[in-house]
Amino acid sequence: MVVLTKTACGKKDGDMTAEQKHDSNGCLDPWPPVRGDYHVCDPMARVAVVTLASPITVQRAAIFGQCKTENLGVEKIVANVISNCNIRFLILCGLESRGHMPGNTILALHRNGIDGQGRIIGSDGAIPFIQNLPVEAIRRFQDQVELIDRIGLVDALQIEELIARYSQISEPYPAEPFQVVKRKAVTRLIATGPGDLALGAGVFMDSSAWIVLAGE
Amino acid sequence: MNMFRFNKEQSVVNVAGVKLGGQPGELPSVLCGTIFYQGHNIVEDHNRGVFDRKAAEGLIARQAELSLETGCPGILHIYSRSIEAFSRYLDFVDGVWTGPFIIDSADAATRAAAAALVSEIGYADRAIYNSISVATDEAEALAIQGSEVDSAIILAYNPSEPGVDGSLAILETGGQICEKGLIERAKVLGFSNLLIDPAVLPIGSGAGAALRFSVAAKARLGIPVGSGIHNAVSSWSWLSERDKSIKRSCDASAAAMQLLSAADFLLYGPIELADTIFPAAALADILVAEAVRDLDIVPAETHPLHRLV
Repeated sequence: MVVLTKTACGKKDGDMTAEQKHDSNGCLDPWPPVRGDYHVCDPMARVAVVTLASPITVQRAAIFGQCKTENLGVEKIVANVISNCNIRFLILCGLESRGHMPGNTILALHRNGIDGQGRIIGSDGAIPFIQNLPVEAIRRFQDQVELIDRIGLVDALQIEELIARYSQISEPYPAEPFQVVKRKAVTRLIATGPGDLALGAGVFMDSSAWIVLAGE
Repeated sequence: MNMFRFNKEQSVVNVAGVKLGGQPGELPSVLCGTIFYQGHNIVEDHNRGVFDRKAAEGLIARQAELSLETGCPGILHIYSRSIEAFSRYLDFVDGVWTGPFIIDSADAATRAAAAALVSEIGYADRAIYNSISVATDEAEALAIQGSEVDSAIILAYNPSEPGVDGSLAILETGGQICEKGLIERAKVLGFSNLLIDPAVLPIGSGAGAALRFSVAAKARLGIPVGSGIHNAVSSWSWLSERDKSIKRSCDASAAAMQLLSAADFLLYGPIELADTIFPAAALADILVAEAVRDLDIVPAETHPLHRLV
């Protein structure tokens, strides 16, 4: 499972991936660190584009792609944006994914952050929770990028005009890239009971511990 | 891994004659194909519910044929963007499908309105509400409480604690984000036929937990379980660049793995996959039935073991 954890770049995290370093171009190498349904154009560009539920192709953005969910999809966007200091603007365009409302949720996250349970404050999405990002990552997202709310815009040429306009009016974020890491799942020993699944021949399984027990 | 018998009694849910649940190897798996989903190429207008009726009829008929041949019952999973669309879909389905159907929409108001509509026209006993989850707010709850639909899928997604323990907690106690468990909440809302969906996350984000959860949930709760394991396959970027035959083999494998992990039903994805899923499910059912033959489990008369072997 990909877990996006505590990450200020340059600080040691227990499971930080050795192969992932930040390069002198202001972004991690390799970048983007989190896989998803996106296309990378120019990692040095200032603008990232989220086309929400619309499959729109644009040119000259740092990265563009769809986002259909208000939780895991939003987390991936945040992780990939803050790991590239060159990105200063995030254009939200395309049609909103009904019910999930990821565009509304990204706006809410940027504006309000999350509460103690990880719920994105003020989102209209169905299950707007951040599970895998530390609060520091969200603060960084709020600081690093300005959101351009053009939800509903589906014309690729108009979106490219926006990319061109915002590409010229900023400098890279003055900090190290915020790194995300793959953390190994926590393993733990679970006390076993007598078993709640019978496999026959005196063999049982404890479904909570996921352990097969052989009787005497 | 599904060659076992649960110590806890396993309930059987009956929706319009289709039975779901029981001990592994007892009942044939129930297979739910989705029609009119987002991006379905037979739909011309998702908002109004305009679609190619002939193509839809063919897809539904094919699921019915495969169901008859294999013994695995089918359920029609109807996705709608709006109540106007659902109304049109239901009017059409009434003429070509006599079995149970699932009400689904990303829009809560549409789901609730669909529940009201099926109640009004006397189809509530054929309908399964998808779903009760942490996203079910008071407005939706109030709306569905007034309906006569008594079957529902409970989505065991716990956004604050992903994984098996968190999913069980959201069902039983509500975990850290709901005042009460979703099972209790569903009962309060009037649902007596409960089905559990572990909520399959994208592959790489914890999709596999659905398999272990399925066994744990049946062992602990004794309620029928099933999942949309197809989501794991469709979210796999690597696979998206492969040939159709490779994708289909993964669809069949994922379905069989979920059934071997104690699932009673599958939300198998686009109804076009029926030709891939029904044989895979029938095979899984037969192997499981043979595996538990000496565990005092008797396959139902309609089981694929009796139909295809």
